[in-house]
Amino acid sequence: MSWRPTALNVSFLTLAGWALFLGVLTGRADLVVIAVPLIVALVAGRRTAAPPIVQFHHTVSADRVLQDERLTVRVTIRAEQAAPLLELLEPLPPGVALERGGHHAFFSLRAGEEVAWEFVLRCSGRQRLRLGGPHVRLWGVLGLAAAEARVRAPRTVAVYPNLAPLTHPPRPIRTQTYVGNHVSPAQGEGIEPGDIRPFAPGDHVRHVNWRATLRHGALHVTQHHHERNADVVLLLDTLSEVGPPGASVVDTAVRGAADLAATYLARKDRVGLIEYGGQLRWVKPGSGRAQLQRLLDTLLDASVVFTYVTRDLDLVPPRILPPQALVLALSPLLDPRFVRAASDLTARGFDLVVIAVSPAPAARAALRPGPVADLAARLWDLERRAELDAHRRRGLSIVTWDGVAPLAVALASLRRPRLRRALAR
Amino acid sequence: MMRLAAAVLVAGLAGFPLAVMSGAPVSWLVVLALVVAGAGVLLLSVTLVTIAGALALIAYAVALLIVRPPVDPVAAAGFGATLVVVVALVHFARRADGAVLGPAVVATQVRQWLAIVAAGVVVAAVLTAGATVLGAALAGATLPLVVVAATLGALLTVAGVIALTTREDPPSRS
Repeated sequence: MSWRPTALNVSFLTLAGWALFLGVLTGRADLVVIAVPLIVALVAGRRTAAPPIVQFHHTVSADRVLQDERLTVRVTIRAEQAAPLLELLEPLPPGVALERGGHHAFFSLRAGEEVAWEFVLRCSGRQRLRLGGPHVRLWGVLGLAAAEARVRAPRTVAVYPNLAPLTHPPRPIRTQTYVGNHVSPAQGEGIEPGDIRPFAPGDHVRHVNWRATLRHGALHVTQHHHERNADVVLLLDTLSEVGPPGASVVDTAVRGAADLAATYLARKDRVGLIEYGGQLRWVKPGSGRAQLQRLLDTLLDASVVFTYVTRDLDLVPPRILPPQALVLALSPLLDPRFVRAASDLTARGFDLVVIAVSPAPAARAALRPGPVADLAARLWDLERRAELDAHRRRGLSIVTWDGVAPLAVALASLRRPRLRRALAR
Repeated sequence: MMRLAAAVLVAGLAGFPLAVMSGAPVSWLVVLALVVAGAGVLLLSVTLVTIAGALALIAYAVALLIVRPPVDPVAAAGFGATLVVVVALVHFARRADGAVLGPAVVATQVRQWLAIVAAGVVVAAVLTAGATVLGAALAGATLPLVVVAATLGALLTVAGVIALTTREDPPSRS
């Protein structure tokens, strides 16, 4: 760190030059005297000593926060020598708003003095927030010299989307072998009543259906369905993006995927993730809180990566995309490659539900409001409805979500086939 | 608050030429300087305030040239000191606009400005006293000789200041 003259020197030089010039021109000593304080200031502002040594300690209150949660950044400054004017600026990344305090501050420190500078940030969207540490500028006398440096204290804070668990997520048709919350088509021990059949040796007496027994005159028992868990794979489309950063369709889809993941994991299901985009990334299905954390971390980095290479879902190994899994695709259905992939999955017999994230609200957020934008949005909406109807006719199970209303509202309109009919297929 | 302080200082700056001569053309120049300085204070622009300062200097020179009052080194030193503080204040206000200010920042800055201004006034007083002695010694010299010597001195001063302010510091440990 070393002193550099600032542009203020030019101002002082200009004024001193004018005073001297006018003094010589008019032959008035007064004008020469005016130049003296300016020249003295210029000379005094010329620092020869090395800038004072200042220590910084940069901390953040958390490494992981939820969207709209507060994050406190604290910088402790200790001056080994006196620092008459110390300027600090912490650049704020996009998607972060200042909640309290200021990210730009001035301090005046005596030798050995320590001050704490604190400000609170509000993170408005999912992201990996990177705070690099404050820029430091030491000002010399009158601001005529300055020394600059950057405090290298990189901190990364994971900002996760807010989780809103769903009460009625799409029910998987096929279940797995472990105990869970879904009614299995298979008959056995459980609490969900199934078929009624004549009594057979070995049946429990508590399963006897007395009403049917009285009606038929012979003992009948009620069979029950197993309660089993299911494999759920979230298929996230990152091939196309519409909308401003932080409010794009990918952000909306990520929010929905996080809600679905939290809901299914709370129901003891195994949840996996496939990010289908420029880069094909996946998370193997798993269960538990660690899996939720893994999924959220993967969703945090989901973004559109442009590539000419078209990858197929055939590349995904069966352990990542099990044939019995319920596949929930979150996509704006703007890219034909994703539509093709979804159609392929349906044709291969996967239980697929497409949650079509509407790009209209995201696009409107990026546009200036006006009648032309309104008309364009309505036309686009009509076109999309026609496209979605065409996809539905091709066998895709699609539910539309505008990203503004809760996902639960959008999923309420989803009609799932009954177990028997689904198994008969 | 800092804008208000700068506005008060600008008004004080305009008072120097008007104290010498309040009529046209000085008043017109002062009004022009006030308008530019007002804009500079509002926008916290050091450039505009510098231009206004130069205009005030011209107005002061014109007033002195027309009225031809006796030399007043106290008023001149006050004018120079006010110029220093106005420019430094606007520069600081621009930097600190919207920023959090620590508890002792403003007090430290004011103390620093006052110290520099006091040093400037003392140097001006010493130079004035020296010039008075030198003036008596040069009483017999012809006017062109004095003007040439003064010009040379002024040029040397400006050259020295430029050399001082543009010199690169050797790299030091941060």
